Amino acid sequence: MSEALDAEFREFMHGRWPAMVRLAYALTGDQGHAEDVAQAAFARAYASWPKVRRTGNPEAYVRRIVVNENRNRFRKQRVAERLTDTPPEPGSGAGTGPGADATGQYDERSALMAALRRLGPRQRAVVVLRYWLGLTEAEAAAELNCSVGTVKSQASRALATLRQSAELVDGGSP
Amino acid sequence: MSIDDERDLYERLDGAVEAITPRPAPVDGVMRHGRVIRWRRRAIAVAGLAVVAAGAVAVPSLRHAATQHQPATSHYTATVQAPGPHSPAGLIASGTVNGQHWALTAGRPGAGGAGRGQQFVIASGPAFGPDGMTNSATAFAAPTTEPVSLTGIVCGPSQAAYGPVAADVSYITVRLGNGIVLTLHPVRVYGVRLVGFAIPVGAPVVSATAYSARGEIATAIPFRDGGTSSFVTWLRPGQPGLARASGLVGSGSYLGKAWSVRAYLGPWGACLAGQAGGEAVGSSCEEVASVSRNGTGMWLWTGGGPALAMGSAGPSVARIAVTSPDGKTTQVHPVAVGSARFFAFAFGPGPKHWKWTAYDGSGHAITSGDVVPS
Repeated sequence: MSEALDAEFREFMHGRWPAMVRLAYALTGDQGHAEDVAQAAFARAYASWPKVRRTGNPEAYVRRIVVNENRNRFRKQRVAERLTDTPPEPGSGAGTGPGADATGQYDERSALMAALRRLGPRQRAVVVLRYWLGLTEAEAAAELNCSVGTVKSQASRALATLRQSAELVDGGSP
Repeated sequence: MSIDDERDLYERLDGAVEAITPRPAPVDGVMRHGRVIRWRRRAIAVAGLAVVAAGAVAVPSLRHAATQHQPATSHYTATVQAPGPHSPAGLIASGTVNGQHWALTAGRPGAGGAGRGQQFVIASGPAFGPDGMTNSATAFAAPTTEPVSLTGIVCGPSQAAYGPVAADVSYITVRLGNGIVLTLHPVRVYGVRLVGFAIPVGAPVVSATAYSARGEIATAIPFRDGGTSSFVTWLRPGQPGLARASGLVGSGSYLGKAWSVRAYLGPWGACLAGQAGGEAVGSSCEEVASVSRNGTGMWLWTGGGPALAMGSAGPSVARIAVTSPDGKTTQVHPVAVGSARFFAFAFGPGPKHWKWTAYDGSGHAITSGDVVPS
Protein backbone atom coordinates (compact mmCIF):
# COMPACT_ATOMS: atom_id res chain seq x y z
CA MET A 1 0.00 0.00 0.00
CA SER A 2 1.29 3.49 -0.76
CA GLU A 3 2.72 5.78 1.86
CA ALA A 4 -0.10 8.21 1.19
CA LEU A 5 -2.72 5.61 2.01
CA ASP A 6 -0.81 4.57 5.11
CA ALA A 7 -0.67 8.16 6.26
CA GLU A 8 -4.38 8.54 5.58
CA PHE A 9 -5.15 5.46 7.67
CA ARG A 10 -2.94 6.68 10.51
CA GLU A 11 -4.80 9.95 10.64
CA PHE A 12 -8.14 8.14 10.52
CA MET A 13 -7.25 5.79 13.33
CA HIS A 14 -5.79 8.50 15.56
CA GLY A 15 -8.97 10.47 15.12
CA ARG A 16 -11.49 7.69 15.67
CA TRP A 17 -9.70 5.41 18.16
CA PRO A 18 -11.12 6.96 21.35
CA ALA A 19 -14.69 6.85 20.05
CA MET A 20 -14.40 3.22 18.96
CA VAL A 21 -12.89 2.17 22.27
CA ARG A 22 -15.71 3.91 24.11
CA LEU A 23 -18.26 2.21 21.86
CA ALA A 24 -16.66 -1.16 22.53
CA TYR A 25 -16.58 -0.34 26.26
CA ALA A 26 -20.29 0.41 26.21
CA LEU A 27 -20.84 -2.99 24.64
CA THR A 28 -18.43 -5.03 26.76
CA GLY A 29 -18.10 -3.16 30.06
CA ASP A 30 -14.39 -3.89 30.18
CA GLN A 31 -11.82 -1.38 28.98
CA GLY A 32 -9.12 -3.92 28.22
CA HIS A 33 -11.45 -6.05 26.17
CA ALA A 34 -12.85 -2.93 24.50
CA GLU A 35 -9.39 -1.89 23.35
CA ASP A 36 -8.77 -5.39 21.98
CA VAL A 37 -12.04 -5.30 20.05
CA ALA A 38 -11.35 -1.84 18.68
CA GLN A 39 -7.80 -2.81 17.74
CA ALA A 40 -9.02 -5.86 15.82
CA ALA A 41 -11.63 -3.79 14.03
CA PHE A 42 -9.11 -1.20 12.90
CA ALA A 43 -6.74 -3.97 11.76
CA ARG A 44 -9.43 -5.39 9.52
CA ALA A 45 -10.15 -1.94 8.19
CA TYR A 46 -6.48 -1.41 7.39
CA ALA A 47 -6.30 -4.80 5.66
CA SER A 48 -8.96 -3.56 3.24
CA TRP A 49 -8.19 0.15 3.43
CA PRO A 50 -8.26 0.96 -0.30
CA LYS A 51 -11.77 -0.54 -0.51
CA VAL A 52 -12.94 0.78 2.86
CA ARG A 53 -11.98 4.38 2.10
CA ARG A 54 -13.93 4.22 -1.16
CA THR A 55 -17.16 3.62 0.78
CA GLY A 56 -16.97 7.22 1.86
CA ASN A 57 -17.72 6.25 5.46
CA PRO A 58 -14.85 4.22 6.91
CA GLU A 59 -16.05 5.02 10.42
CA ALA A 60 -19.26 3.10 9.75
CA TYR A 61 -17.18 0.13 8.52
CA VAL A 62 -15.15 0.03 11.73
CA ARG A 63 -18.21 0.59 13.88
CA ARG A 64 -20.01 -2.37 12.30
CA ILE A 65 -17.05 -4.63 13.02
CA VAL A 66 -16.93 -3.44 16.62
CA VAL A 67 -20.65 -4.05 17.06
CA ASN A 68 -20.67 -7.42 15.36
CA GLU A 69 -17.26 -8.66 16.46
CA ASN A 70 -17.15 -12.40 16.79
CA ARG A 71 -16.52 -13.87 20.19
CA ASN A 72 -13.60 -15.82 18.93
CA ARG A 73 -11.17 -16.50 21.65
CA PHE A 74 -7.86 -18.14 21.88
CA ARG A 75 -7.68 -20.49 24.82
CA LYS A 76 -4.55 -20.69 26.80
CA GLN A 77 -3.85 -24.27 27.64
CA ARG A 78 -1.77 -23.13 30.52
CA VAL A 79 -0.32 -19.86 31.72
CA ALA A 80 2.03 -20.56 34.55
CA GLU A 81 4.13 -18.24 36.65
CA ARG A 82 7.03 -20.07 38.21
CA LEU A 83 8.17 -18.46 41.38
CA THR A 84 11.47 -17.21 42.60
CA ASP A 85 13.15 -18.85 45.57
CA THR A 86 14.03 -15.53 47.14
CA PRO A 87 11.28 -14.14 49.32
CA PRO A 88 10.82 -10.40 49.51
CA GLU A 89 10.36 -8.58 52.78
CA PRO A 90 7.81 -10.38 54.97
CA GLY A 91 4.22 -9.33 54.57
CA SER A 92 2.85 -7.08 57.25
CA GLY A 93 -0.53 -6.46 58.70
CA ALA A 94 -3.37 -8.76 59.56
CA GLY A 95 -5.17 -8.27 56.31
CA THR A 96 -8.86 -8.71 55.88
CA GLY A 97 -9.22 -12.34 54.84
CA PRO A 98 -9.54 -13.98 51.45
CA GLY A 99 -11.49 -12.26 48.73
CA ALA A 100 -12.53 -9.29 50.78
CA ASP A 101 -13.51 -6.02 49.18
CA ALA A 102 -10.51 -3.83 48.53
CA THR A 103 -12.33 -0.53 48.46
CA GLY A 104 -15.91 -1.12 49.50
CA GLN A 105 -16.98 1.32 46.83
CA TYR A 106 -19.42 0.78 44.02
CA ASP A 107 -19.52 3.72 41.65
CA GLU A 108 -22.17 4.86 39.24
CA ARG A 109 -20.27 3.58 36.22
CA SER A 110 -19.98 0.11 37.69
CA ALA A 111 -23.72 0.10 38.46
CA LEU A 112 -24.64 0.96 34.88
CA MET A 113 -22.18 -1.51 33.36
CA ALA A 114 -23.40 -4.25 35.69
CA ALA A 115 -26.96 -3.55 34.64
CA LEU A 116 -26.01 -3.58 30.95
CA ARG A 117 -24.19 -6.89 31.36
CA ARG A 118 -27.43 -8.49 32.43
CA LEU A 119 -28.72 -7.85 28.94
CA GLY A 120 -28.04 -10.23 26.10
CA PRO A 121 -25.43 -9.13 23.53
CA ARG A 122 -28.06 -8.13 20.96
CA GLN A 123 -30.12 -6.15 23.49
CA ARG A 124 -27.01 -4.43 24.79
CA ALA A 125 -26.01 -3.44 21.25
CA VAL A 126 -29.49 -2.07 20.58
CA VAL A 127 -29.39 0.04 23.75
CA VAL A 128 -25.97 1.45 22.89
CA LEU A 129 -26.80 2.17 19.27
CA ARG A 130 -30.23 3.63 19.92
CA TYR A 131 -29.82 5.49 23.18
CA TRP A 132 -26.16 6.47 23.17
CA LEU A 133 -25.17 6.83 19.53
CA GLY A 134 -28.68 8.04 18.72
CA LEU A 135 -29.19 5.89 15.66
CA THR A 136 -32.71 5.53 14.30
CA GLU A 137 -34.39 2.13 14.39
CA ALA A 138 -33.64 1.68 10.70
CA GLU A 139 -29.98 2.66 11.12
CA ALA A 140 -29.57 0.33 14.10
CA ALA A 141 -31.18 -2.49 12.15
CA ALA A 142 -28.69 -1.95 9.33
CA GLU A 143 -25.77 -2.00 11.77
CA LEU A 144 -26.98 -5.23 13.35
CA ASN A 145 -28.11 -6.83 10.10
CA CYS A 146 -31.59 -7.48 11.45
CA SER A 147 -35.09 -6.16 10.92
CA VAL A 148 -36.52 -2.94 12.33
CA GLY A 149 -39.07 -5.07 14.17
CA THR A 150 -36.26 -6.93 15.90
CA VAL A 151 -34.67 -3.66 16.97
CA LYS A 152 -37.97 -2.49 18.39
CA SER A 153 -38.64 -5.66 20.33
CA GLN A 154 -35.07 -5.94 21.61
CA ALA A 155 -35.14 -2.30 22.74
CA SER A 156 -38.42 -2.79 24.53
CA ARG A 157 -37.18 -5.83 26.40
CA ALA A 158 -33.87 -4.20 27.24
CA LEU A 159 -35.49 -1.10 28.67
CA ALA A 160 -37.89 -3.20 30.73
CA THR A 161 -34.93 -5.11 32.17
CA LEU A 162 -32.97 -1.96 32.91
CA ARG A 163 -35.97 -0.37 34.65
CA GLN A 164 -36.04 -3.29 37.06
CA SER A 165 -32.28 -3.49 37.46
CA ALA A 166 -31.36 -3.44 41.13
CA GLU A 167 -28.11 -1.64 40.40
CA LEU A 168 -29.88 1.32 38.81
CA VAL A 169 -32.97 1.35 41.04
CA ASP A 170 -30.90 1.30 44.22
CA GLY A 171 -28.57 3.99 42.92
CA GLY A 172 -25.60 1.71 42.67
CA SER A 173 -25.68 -0.22 45.93
CA PRO A 174 -24.23 -3.76 45.57
CA MET B 1 -40.54 4.84 27.83
CA SER B 2 -40.86 8.52 28.50
CA ILE B 3 -38.51 11.01 26.99
CA ASP B 4 -37.12 11.72 30.43
CA ASP B 5 -36.12 8.08 30.88
CA GLU B 6 -34.41 7.97 27.50
CA ARG B 7 -32.57 11.16 28.30
CA ASP B 8 -31.53 9.75 31.64
CA LEU B 9 -30.24 6.58 29.99
CA TYR B 10 -28.29 8.60 27.43
CA GLU B 11 -26.71 10.79 30.10
CA ARG B 12 -25.75 7.80 32.25
CA LEU B 13 -24.30 5.95 29.28
CA ASP B 14 -22.47 9.01 28.05
CA GLY B 15 -21.09 9.71 31.49
CA ALA B 16 -19.91 6.13 31.90
CA VAL B 17 -18.13 5.77 28.57
CA GLU B 18 -16.71 9.27 28.49
CA ALA B 19 -15.09 8.62 31.86
CA ILE B 20 -12.69 6.06 30.47
CA THR B 21 -9.41 7.14 28.97
CA PRO B 22 -8.28 4.89 26.13
CA ARG B 23 -4.58 4.25 25.80
CA PRO B 24 -2.84 5.91 22.86
CA ALA B 25 -3.93 4.48 19.54
CA PRO B 26 -1.71 1.46 18.75
CA VAL B 27 -1.46 2.38 15.09
CA ASP B 28 1.78 0.55 14.32
CA GLY B 29 0.52 -2.68 15.87
CA VAL B 30 -2.78 -2.39 14.06
CA MET B 31 -1.06 -1.90 10.73
CA ARG B 32 1.17 -4.92 11.38
CA HIS B 33 -1.87 -7.01 12.19
CA GLY B 34 -3.65 -5.69 9.13
CA ARG B 35 -0.74 -6.77 6.94
CA VAL B 36 -0.99 -10.27 8.43
CA ILE B 37 -4.68 -10.36 7.57
CA ARG B 38 -3.88 -9.23 4.06
CA TRP B 39 -1.15 -11.87 3.79
CA ARG B 40 -3.53 -14.53 5.03
CA ARG B 41 -6.09 -13.69 2.38
CA ARG B 42 -3.43 -13.86 -0.32
CA ALA B 43 -2.15 -17.18 1.05
CA ILE B 44 -5.63 -18.66 0.96
CA ALA B 45 -6.24 -17.41 -2.57
CA VAL B 46 -2.88 -18.36 -4.04
CA ALA B 47 -2.44 -21.73 -2.35
CA GLY B 48 -5.78 -22.89 -3.68
CA LEU B 49 -6.98 -24.50 -0.52
CA ALA B 50 -9.65 -27.18 -0.80
CA VAL B 51 -12.26 -24.93 0.81
CA VAL B 52 -11.71 -22.21 -1.80
CA ALA B 53 -11.93 -24.79 -4.56
CA ALA B 54 -15.24 -25.87 -3.08
CA GLY B 55 -16.57 -22.36 -3.47
CA ALA B 56 -16.46 -21.35 0.16
CA VAL B 57 -16.02 -17.67 0.94
CA ALA B 58 -12.73 -16.94 2.60
CA VAL B 59 -12.77 -13.14 2.40
CA PRO B 60 -14.45 -11.26 5.24
CA SER B 61 -17.83 -9.80 4.41
CA LEU B 62 -18.76 -6.31 5.53
CA ARG B 63 -22.27 -7.26 6.53
CA HIS B 64 -21.96 -10.75 7.92
CA ALA B 65 -24.26 -11.49 10.81
CA ALA B 66 -22.81 -12.13 14.21
CA THR B 67 -22.10 -15.82 14.55
CA GLN B 68 -24.40 -17.62 16.91
CA HIS B 69 -22.92 -20.63 18.63
CA GLN B 70 -25.54 -23.31 18.93
CA PRO B 71 -24.80 -25.87 21.62
CA ALA B 72 -24.05 -29.16 19.93
CA THR B 73 -26.44 -32.02 20.58
CA SER B 74 -25.66 -35.59 19.56
CA HIS B 75 -26.77 -34.69 16.04
CA TYR B 76 -23.56 -33.32 14.64
CA THR B 77 -21.00 -34.61 12.19
CA ALA B 78 -17.28 -34.14 11.89
CA THR B 79 -14.73 -35.48 9.47
CA VAL B 80 -11.01 -35.07 9.04
CA GLN B 81 -8.58 -35.99 6.34
CA ALA B 82 -4.86 -35.69 6.09
CA PRO B 83 -3.39 -33.78 3.18
CA GLY B 84 -2.80 -35.72 -0.01
CA PRO B 85 0.18 -35.54 -2.34
CA HIS B 86 -1.32 -32.62 -4.26
CA SER B 87 -2.54 -30.61 -1.29
CA PRO B 88 -1.46 -26.98 -0.89
CA ALA B 89 1.74 -26.29 0.96
CA GLY B 90 1.29 -25.93 4.69
CA LEU B 91 -2.03 -27.79 4.93
CA ILE B 92 -2.18 -29.60 8.27
CA ALA B 93 -5.62 -31.15 7.92
CA SER B 94 -9.03 -30.46 6.46
CA GLY B 95 -12.50 -31.85 6.79
CA THR B 96 -16.07 -30.95 7.54
CA VAL B 97 -18.10 -29.90 10.57
CA ASN B 98 -21.82 -30.42 10.08
CA GLY B 99 -21.19 -30.60 6.36
CA GLN B 100 -19.23 -27.35 6.18
CA HIS B 101 -15.62 -27.40 5.07
CA TRP B 102 -12.65 -26.34 7.17
CA ALA B 103 -8.91 -26.31 6.81
CA LEU B 104 -5.98 -25.73 9.13
CA THR B 105 -2.93 -24.36 7.34
CA ALA B 106 0.48 -23.44 8.68
CA GLY B 107 2.31 -20.54 7.16
CA ARG B 108 5.92 -20.80 6.14
CA PRO B 109 8.22 -20.22 9.14
CA GLY B 110 9.00 -16.52 9.43
CA ALA B 111 6.46 -15.50 6.79
CA GLY B 112 3.76 -12.89 7.17
CA GLY B 113 5.45 -11.10 10.01
CA ALA B 114 6.03 -14.17 12.16
CA GLY B 115 9.25 -14.22 14.14
CA ARG B 116 12.22 -16.35 13.21
CA GLY B 117 11.22 -20.01 13.30
CA GLN B 118 7.61 -19.16 14.12
CA GLN B 119 4.57 -19.85 12.03
CA PHE B 120 1.03 -18.56 11.87
CA VAL B 121 -1.75 -21.12 11.66
CA ILE B 122 -4.84 -20.20 9.65
CA ALA B 123 -8.25 -21.64 10.33
CA SER B 124 -10.36 -21.19 7.20
CA GLY B 125 -13.55 -22.43 5.68
CA PRO B 126 -17.25 -21.87 6.39
CA ALA B 127 -17.08 -24.21 9.38
CA PHE B 128 -15.07 -21.50 11.11
CA GLY B 129 -17.46 -18.72 10.21
CA PRO B 130 -17.14 -16.13 7.44
CA ASP B 131 -13.78 -14.77 8.54
CA GLY B 132 -11.83 -17.68 9.96
CA MET B 133 -8.89 -16.68 12.08
CA THR B 134 -5.14 -16.49 12.14
CA ASN B 135 -3.67 -17.76 15.35
CA SER B 136 -0.67 -16.29 17.13
CA ALA B 137 2.68 -17.28 15.68
CA THR B 138 4.15 -20.44 17.22
CA ALA B 139 7.44 -22.24 16.98
CA PHE B 140 6.52 -25.89 16.53
CA ALA B 141 8.75 -28.57 17.99
CA ALA B 142 8.15 -32.26 18.51
CA PRO B 143 7.12 -32.84 22.15
CA THR B 144 9.34 -34.99 24.33
CA THR B 145 7.16 -35.81 27.35
CA GLU B 146 3.79 -36.29 25.69
CA PRO B 147 2.74 -37.82 22.39
CA VAL B 148 1.22 -34.60 21.05
CA SER B 149 1.12 -30.98 22.16
CA LEU B 150 -2.26 -29.60 21.12
CA THR B 151 -3.23 -25.95 20.85
CA GLY B 152 -6.93 -25.22 20.90
CA ILE B 153 -8.84 -22.46 19.17
CA VAL B 154 -12.48 -21.48 18.92
CA CYS B 155 -13.61 -19.78 15.74
CA GLY B 156 -17.19 -19.25 14.74
CA PRO B 157 -19.29 -22.31 15.50
CA SER B 158 -16.31 -24.68 15.56
CA GLN B 159 -13.42 -25.50 17.79
CA ALA B 160 -10.18 -26.95 16.57
CA ALA B 161 -6.97 -28.37 17.93
CA TYR B 162 -3.63 -28.80 16.23
CA GLY B 163 -0.05 -29.38 17.16
CA PRO B 164 3.20 -31.32 16.75
CA VAL B 165 3.47 -35.01 17.53
CA ALA B 166 6.30 -37.04 18.96
CA ALA B 167 8.51 -38.99 16.60
CA ASP B 168 6.98 -42.38 17.45
CA VAL B 169 3.33 -41.37 16.91
CA SER B 170 1.74 -43.17 13.97
CA TYR B 171 -1.77 -41.88 14.40
CA ILE B 172 -4.19 -40.44 16.99
CA THR B 173 -7.85 -41.30 17.47
CA VAL B 174 -10.27 -38.74 18.89
CA ARG B 175 -13.51 -40.17 20.21
CA LEU B 176 -16.52 -37.83 20.33
CA GLY B 177 -19.54 -38.06 22.57
CA ASN B 178 -21.88 -39.25 19.82
CA GLY B 179 -19.62 -42.14 18.84
CA ILE B 180 -17.74 -40.53 15.98
CA VAL B 181 -14.06 -41.46 15.96
CA LEU B 182 -11.70 -39.15 14.11
CA THR B 183 -8.37 -40.64 13.05
CA LEU B 184 -5.57 -38.11 12.76
CA HIS B 185 -2.55 -38.96 10.63
CA PRO B 186 0.49 -36.77 11.19
CA VAL B 187 1.77 -34.85 8.20
CA ARG B 188 5.15 -33.21 7.86
CA VAL B 189 4.66 -29.47 7.45
CA TYR B 190 7.80 -27.40 6.97
CA GLY B 191 9.82 -30.08 8.71
CA VAL B 192 7.53 -30.75 11.72
CA ARG B 193 4.94 -33.53 11.97
CA LEU B 194 1.56 -32.01 12.81
CA VAL B 195 -2.00 -33.15 13.34
CA GLY B 196 -5.23 -31.18 13.50
CA PHE B 197 -8.96 -31.59 13.70
CA ALA B 198 -12.13 -29.53 14.09
CA ILE B 199 -15.50 -30.24 15.72
CA PRO B 200 -18.51 -28.14 16.70
CA VAL B 201 -18.29 -25.99 19.81
CA GLY B 202 -20.07 -27.92 22.52
CA ALA B 203 -19.37 -31.33 21.01
CA PRO B 204 -17.90 -33.41 23.83
CA VAL B 205 -14.60 -35.15 23.29
CA VAL B 206 -14.52 -38.34 25.31
CA SER B 207 -10.87 -39.20 24.81
CA ALA B 208 -7.89 -39.01 22.50
CA THR B 209 -5.44 -41.89 22.12
CA ALA B 210 -2.03 -41.80 20.49
CA TYR B 211 -0.63 -44.92 18.85
CA SER B 212 2.81 -45.95 17.67
CA ALA B 213 3.61 -48.84 15.35
CA ARG B 214 3.68 -51.06 18.45
CA GLY B 215 0.34 -50.01 19.90
CA GLU B 216 -1.14 -47.50 22.33
CA ILE B 217 1.20 -44.83 23.67
CA ALA B 218 -1.10 -42.82 25.88
CA THR B 219 -4.66 -41.57 26.28
CA ALA B 220 -5.92 -38.14 27.28
CA ILE B 221 -9.29 -37.41 28.86
CA PRO B 222 -9.88 -33.74 28.12
CA PHE B 223 -11.09 -31.10 30.51
CA ARG B 224 -14.30 -29.63 29.15
CA ASP B 225 -15.00 -25.98 29.89
CA GLY B 226 -17.45 -23.74 28.12
CA GLY B 227 -18.09 -26.16 25.27
CA THR B 228 -14.42 -26.66 24.48
CA SER B 229 -11.95 -29.41 25.33
CA SER B 230 -8.39 -29.09 26.63
CA PHE B 231 -5.91 -31.94 26.42
CA VAL B 232 -3.52 -31.59 29.33
CA THR B 233 -2.55 -34.97 30.75
CA TRP B 234 -1.62 -38.01 28.69
CA LEU B 235 -1.88 -41.23 30.68
CA ARG B 236 0.22 -44.24 29.75
CA PRO B 237 -1.56 -47.61 29.69
CA GLY B 238 -2.28 -48.60 33.27
CA GLN B 239 -1.37 -45.16 34.67
CA PRO B 240 -4.07 -43.96 37.05
CA GLY B 241 -5.24 -40.42 36.69
CA LEU B 242 -6.21 -38.11 39.53
CA ALA B 243 -9.36 -39.09 41.38
CA ARG B 244 -12.23 -36.85 40.39
CA ALA B 245 -12.94 -33.99 42.75
CA SER B 246 -14.13 -30.43 42.48
CA GLY B 247 -14.58 -27.54 44.84
CA LEU B 248 -14.64 -23.81 45.37
CA VAL B 249 -11.15 -22.40 45.81
CA GLY B 250 -12.00 -18.78 46.41
CA SER B 251 -14.69 -16.21 45.90
CA GLY B 252 -15.65 -12.72 46.85
CA SER B 253 -16.49 -9.29 45.62
CA TYR B 254 -13.81 -7.03 44.24
CA LEU B 255 -14.50 -3.47 43.12
CA GLY B 256 -18.17 -4.33 42.99
CA LYS B 257 -17.79 -7.45 40.86
CA ALA B 258 -18.37 -10.95 42.09
CA TRP B 259 -15.64 -13.44 41.32
CA SER B 260 -15.04 -17.10 41.99
CA VAL B 261 -12.55 -19.81 41.17
CA ARG B 262 -13.30 -23.54 41.19
CA ALA B 263 -10.92 -26.46 40.92
CA TYR B 264 -11.67 -29.59 38.93
CA LEU B 265 -9.48 -32.66 39.38
CA GLY B 266 -9.71 -35.80 37.31
CA PRO B 267 -7.91 -37.81 34.66
CA TRP B 268 -7.30 -34.56 32.78
CA GLY B 269 -5.15 -33.27 35.60
CA ALA B 270 -6.05 -30.29 37.73
CA CYS B 271 -7.88 -27.33 36.25
CA LEU B 272 -8.89 -24.02 37.74
CA ALA B 273 -11.76 -22.11 36.19
CA GLY B 274 -12.49 -18.52 37.09
CA GLN B 275 -15.50 -16.26 36.78
CA ALA B 276 -15.56 -12.51 37.28
CA GLY B 277 -18.36 -10.06 36.83
CA GLY B 278 -20.73 -12.86 35.86
CA GLU B 279 -18.61 -14.02 32.95
CA ALA B 280 -16.20 -16.89 32.58
CA VAL B 281 -12.64 -15.57 32.68
CA GLY B 282 -11.02 -18.76 31.51
CA SER B 283 -9.44 -21.92 32.79
CA SER B 284 -5.94 -23.21 33.23
CA CYS B 285 -4.83 -26.75 33.78
CA GLU B 286 -1.82 -28.66 35.04
CA GLU B 287 -0.96 -32.22 34.24
CA VAL B 288 -1.06 -34.88 36.92
CA ALA B 289 2.68 -34.98 37.51
CA SER B 290 2.86 -31.22 38.07
CA VAL B 291 0.09 -31.25 40.65
CA SER B 292 1.82 -33.87 42.73
CA ARG B 293 5.07 -31.94 42.83
CA ASN B 294 5.98 -30.38 46.13
CA GLY B 295 5.83 -26.82 45.01
CA THR B 296 3.65 -23.84 44.45
CA GLY B 297 2.65 -22.60 41.04
CA MET B 298 0.42 -19.81 39.91
CA TRP B 299 -1.66 -18.94 36.91
CA LEU B 300 -2.92 -15.52 35.99
CA TRP B 301 -6.02 -14.48 34.15
CA THR B 302 -5.96 -10.78 33.50
CA GLY B 303 -8.33 -10.53 30.56
CA GLY B 304 -11.47 -10.08 32.55
CA GLY B 305 -12.30 -7.67 35.30
CA PRO B 306 -11.11 -8.02 38.01
CA ALA B 307 -7.85 -9.79 37.31
CA LEU B 308 -7.66 -13.19 38.97
CA ALA B 309 -4.60 -15.00 40.24
CA MET B 310 -4.97 -18.68 41.03
CA GLY B 311 -2.69 -21.60 41.54
CA SER B 312 -1.66 -24.73 43.36
CA ALA B 313 -0.04 -24.63 46.80
CA GLY B 314 2.48 -27.10 48.14
CA PRO B 315 1.65 -28.99 51.34
CA SER B 316 3.79 -26.72 53.54
CA VAL B 317 2.08 -23.49 52.48
CA ALA B 318 -0.07 -22.18 55.32
CA ARG B 319 -0.94 -18.78 53.94
CA ILE B 320 -0.16 -16.40 51.11
CA ALA B 321 0.24 -12.72 51.85
CA VAL B 322 -0.81 -10.51 48.95
CA THR B 323 0.45 -6.93 49.09
CA SER B 324 -1.07 -4.22 46.91
CA PRO B 325 0.96 -1.36 45.42
CA ASP B 326 -0.23 0.91 48.22
CA GLY B 327 1.09 -1.49 50.84
CA LYS B 328 -2.15 -3.08 52.01
CA THR B 329 -1.81 -6.81 52.72
CA THR B 330 -4.48 -9.48 52.47
CA GLN B 331 -4.03 -13.05 53.68
CA VAL B 332 -5.16 -15.84 51.37
CA HIS B 333 -5.41 -19.41 52.63
CA PRO B 334 -5.07 -22.49 50.40
CA VAL B 335 -8.11 -24.71 50.04
CA ALA B 336 -7.90 -28.48 49.70
CA VAL B 337 -9.73 -29.99 46.76
CA GLY B 338 -9.24 -33.71 46.37
CA SER B 339 -5.55 -34.54 46.62
CA ALA B 340 -4.31 -31.01 45.94
CA ARG B 341 -4.44 -27.53 47.45
CA PHE B 342 -5.26 -24.36 45.62
CA PHE B 343 -5.60 -20.66 46.21
CA ALA B 344 -7.08 -17.70 44.38
CA PHE B 345 -7.42 -13.97 44.81
CA ALA B 346 -8.62 -10.98 42.87
CA PHE B 347 -6.41 -7.98 42.31
CA GLY B 348 -5.87 -4.89 40.20
CA PRO B 349 -6.48 -2.64 38.39
CA GLY B 350 -3.01 -2.10 37.02
CA PRO B 351 -0.41 -1.22 36.03
CA LYS B 352 1.63 -1.49 39.22
CA HIS B 353 2.93 -4.80 40.52
CA TRP B 354 1.32 -6.67 43.39
CA LYS B 355 3.62 -8.80 45.49
CA TRP B 356 2.82 -12.11 47.10
CA THR B 357 4.65 -14.41 49.46
CA ALA B 358 3.85 -17.94 50.57
CA TYR B 359 4.53 -18.71 54.25
CA ASP B 360 4.67 -22.00 56.12
CA GLY B 361 2.99 -22.65 59.45
CA SER B 362 5.94 -21.21 61.34
CA GLY B 363 5.79 -17.91 59.52
CA HIS B 364 8.81 -18.59 57.35
CA ALA B 365 8.62 -17.33 53.79
CA ILE B 366 8.79 -20.20 51.31
CA THR B 367 8.58 -18.49 47.97
CA SER B 368 7.27 -15.34 46.38
CA GLY B 369 6.52 -13.48 43.20
CA ASP B 370 4.90 -10.51 41.53
CA VAL B 371 1.65 -10.30 39.65
CA VAL B 372 0.70 -7.48 37.29
CA PRO B 373 -2.83 -6.75 36.10
CA SER B 374 -3.01 -6.16 32.37
